[in-house]
Amino acid sequence: MSKQQKVTSTGQTLNKKPLGMRIWNHRGFYLMFLPVFIYVLIIYYWPMLGVRYSFYDYTLKKIEFVGLKHFTSMFADKDFWTAFINTLQLSIIKLLITTGTAVIVSVFINEMGNMLAKKTLQTVIYLPHFMSWTVTAAIFTLFLSTSSTGFINETLKSWGWIKESIDFMHETTLWRPVYYLVNIWKETGWGTVIFLATLSGINPEIYEAADIDGASRLQKIWYVTVPELLNTIIIVLILNLAKVLNLFESVFVMYNNRVFSVSDVVSTYIYRKTFMTAIPNYGYTTAVGLFKSLVGCALVLICNWASKKVRGRGII
Amino acid sequence: MKKKVLSLLLSTAMVASLAACGSSTDSGSSTGSADTQTSGSSTTTSDAGAAADAGSASAGSYDLTDLYITVDGTLTANVDNGQDAFVEQWQTAVAEKLGHPITLHINQPEHSGYKDNVSQLLTTGEPGDGQYPDALIMSATMFKQYQNTGILWNMADAYANAEFQSRITLPSINENMKTPAGELYGFAPTYGNGCVTYIKQSWLDAAGLKADDIKTFDDYYNMLKAFTKDGQTGVIAAGFANMKEAPYINYMPEFWQGAYPAIYQKDGTWIDGFQEQATIDALTRLQTAYADGVIDKDTEEATTKTAREKWFSNDQTTSEGVFTYWAGTWLRTLTDNLDKNDVDADLGDDRLVQLPPIKEIKDTWGGYLNREAPVWVITDDGDGDDSREQAIFDALLETMLDGDKVQTLWTYGAEDVHWSTHAETFTTNPDDPEKKKDYEYAEGEFHLKQTPNDPNSVWKKNHLDPVLVIAPLTNGFVDSDPLVEAGNKFFTSNAVDAPQSPSNETLTEVEADLTVDKTTLINEVVAGKKNAADAVAEYQAKWGDTVASILEDLNAQ
Repeated sequence: MSKQQKVTSTGQTLNKKPLGMRIWNHRGFYLMFLPVFIYVLIIYYWPMLGVRYSFYDYTLKKIEFVGLKHFTSMFADKDFWTAFINTLQLSIIKLLITTGTAVIVSVFINEMGNMLAKKTLQTVIYLPHFMSWTVTAAIFTLFLSTSSTGFINETLKSWGWIKESIDFMHETTLWRPVYYLVNIWKETGWGTVIFLATLSGINPEIYEAADIDGASRLQKIWYVTVPELLNTIIIVLILNLAKVLNLFESVFVMYNNRVFSVSDVVSTYIYRKTFMTAIPNYGYTTAVGLFKSLVGCALVLICNWASKKVRGRGII
Repeated sequence: MKKKVLSLLLSTAMVASLAACGSSTDSGSSTGSADTQTSGSSTTTSDAGAAADAGSASAGSYDLTDLYITVDGTLTANVDNGQDAFVEQWQTAVAEKLGHPITLHINQPEHSGYKDNVSQLLTTGEPGDGQYPDALIMSATMFKQYQNTGILWNMADAYANAEFQSRITLPSINENMKTPAGELYGFAPTYGNGCVTYIKQSWLDAAGLKADDIKTFDDYYNMLKAFTKDGQTGVIAAGFANMKEAPYINYMPEFWQGAYPAIYQKDGTWIDGFQEQATIDALTRLQTAYADGVIDKDTEEATTKTAREKWFSNDQTTSEGVFTYWAGTWLRTLTDNLDKNDVDADLGDDRLVQLPPIKEIKDTWGGYLNREAPVWVITDDGDGDDSREQAIFDALLETMLDGDKVQTLWTYGAEDVHWSTHAETFTTNPDDPEKKKDYEYAEGEFHLKQTPNDPNSVWKKNHLDPVLVIAPLTNGFVDSDPLVEAGNKFFTSNAVDAPQSPSNETLTEVEADLTVDKTTLINEVVAGKKNAADAVAEYQAKWGDTVASILEDLNAQ
């Protein structure tokens, strides 16, 4: 059967019209789509042309083709690899921790019987999500400061638990745990939204059946709630995995020179090379950005494939 | 299948068309960015470009109608403080002087991000785009980085022929900035100024100490120790060293003493001070002081703003006794801020003591360091013709030191907004009986008015410090504040010129990475994570070869 032919549900064979004719027939819709199409071209695709500068030296009064020079320099730069590995580590661990915490908190909230307490708790834990990272970092920096204004250190000292202040923000061994904790504090509440929605959709008959079978509360959580959530957990992980390289703001506002070795990520590396250099070479930083985009693109494709496997449809 | 092929073709066509558009832009920019068309922001005459191309235009043939400048926070008449009036009066005064109107456009990025903002403007912009500056201010460090890039205009001739030459009292400031070939790419209307160490008198009294007895580092250190108790700390600064801007050591000079953690000229030879024993010794002193708790823990992350605000905060129980900061006008500003926060109200203008340089500083540098002056630069559009640049010089820099109206604008701000000669009375802090102060001036008497955005304080100055300027006002407008005068006198009698910053292409390329690495190492040493010698060895292992080649190049010049 020709590809131009389409078989209807009643078994009739229809001849498919040529594309040009179909566009003409639906010209009203295409006309409505045109502004969006132009917008997308200008806003999303036009700036992408800048990626060509990754093959150029782009400094003051100089735009000169240099081929793969920047990629060679990038792969030879130890600081770049530190940033790249840090990005993957920080992102993936953060994703697992915040998702895990969100699941646990969602299950607990779901188990709460008092509606007022439940709603209040939900509202309270959502709030940090709406604070900017700048404010969040300022608050935690102040709380964890080693100076006399540092609440945590002063409290621990007053209780006699420590003698010397702990430099939470400047110790390479402590920075990452602090970073994860701040992320848990800020994003757990928001992360529960999707899980609570799933939980509310679980068929109550399954719980009734479990009750009849004499399941305890914990057994119901373990044998009913968690398996029902599993598909959503995997979807959330897959969807977020595609974005692991987009780590910038949260790190930028919390890191400092002394913890670069464990905190510098690709985006902060690009930022420093672009905006904190006297005379930056935009070609180099574009090359790093392009590499980051390519890896990000590969991750999206992998996640799309994983999504198709898990839930039968892709994410793109 | 056909549908897919068609989609692919359409996508390809779209990308190709975009690429084609991009290519045309590219070809335009690759020539345009380097040769930057003469038309644009600074001219409205279409024939100006043609004249420029002919290479025969003079300043007089160039019709400068719009002037775009970029300036940091040193222009205190900012948008919240009467900048509109400043611009309006500048335009009127300059139009009178030059005989044609010029519209002044001021771009004033946030002060602490100024350097980064400028690099972005200059790299991605071009004359005429409405953002690219015709002229801008640069710190000495920035100036040295940009000096050899070709984007700055050599103003040696314009400077030599300037009207203000006959009134310059400090010619060496600009003469010293000339290259060996006699080129001058920046113009400093003032000398640099520097930092002195301020001690709170009340803290000295409480500790039973006298400033006159603090003559050596040991005396200084014992004073810090005496100050450090019950949440109070000896000293605070914006970082253990300000590695972003020369002279790097000026916020903690007592600890750094003769060390200079950057490339500088010593006995006629360029050397890397970070690798010297003096730096290792200085880092060890800082490490000990940090461990002893006499340096405030906030120092590592503090900006100049956060450091000074903590120092003059109304909560003195967590404050510090010592702060090294800018001399002259800042003595007044710091005193006023302490006053505003009700700190040591009974001491009035005697709240702060200026500490003369300790013996170790005198024996090495000779005194506090007078930094290299910030400079105004003019961007060169690269067309081989100087008419545009000369016109900018005439409109901006020549008038800036005219000794009269325009210089007054840059020095004190706008008439009847920041200063006045009309009879008037005003009161600051009218609702606070303890701080309330009445001011009364007769007709014709020059005086500063209340600060536009803070009626409880009196305006101090605009961009040019009248005490530091190289060609004084000739109209007799002087705001004499005994405290500021005392501060300036103290500094000039206790300061020496800071080492000159090097200018080298490789150094410019790696400067940011060097700054990051040196700051990291300094912070690690001070926090006790490394010893100073190991840190310097680590630095040598990573940067030794690069720095050696930079030094070789500098010493060969």
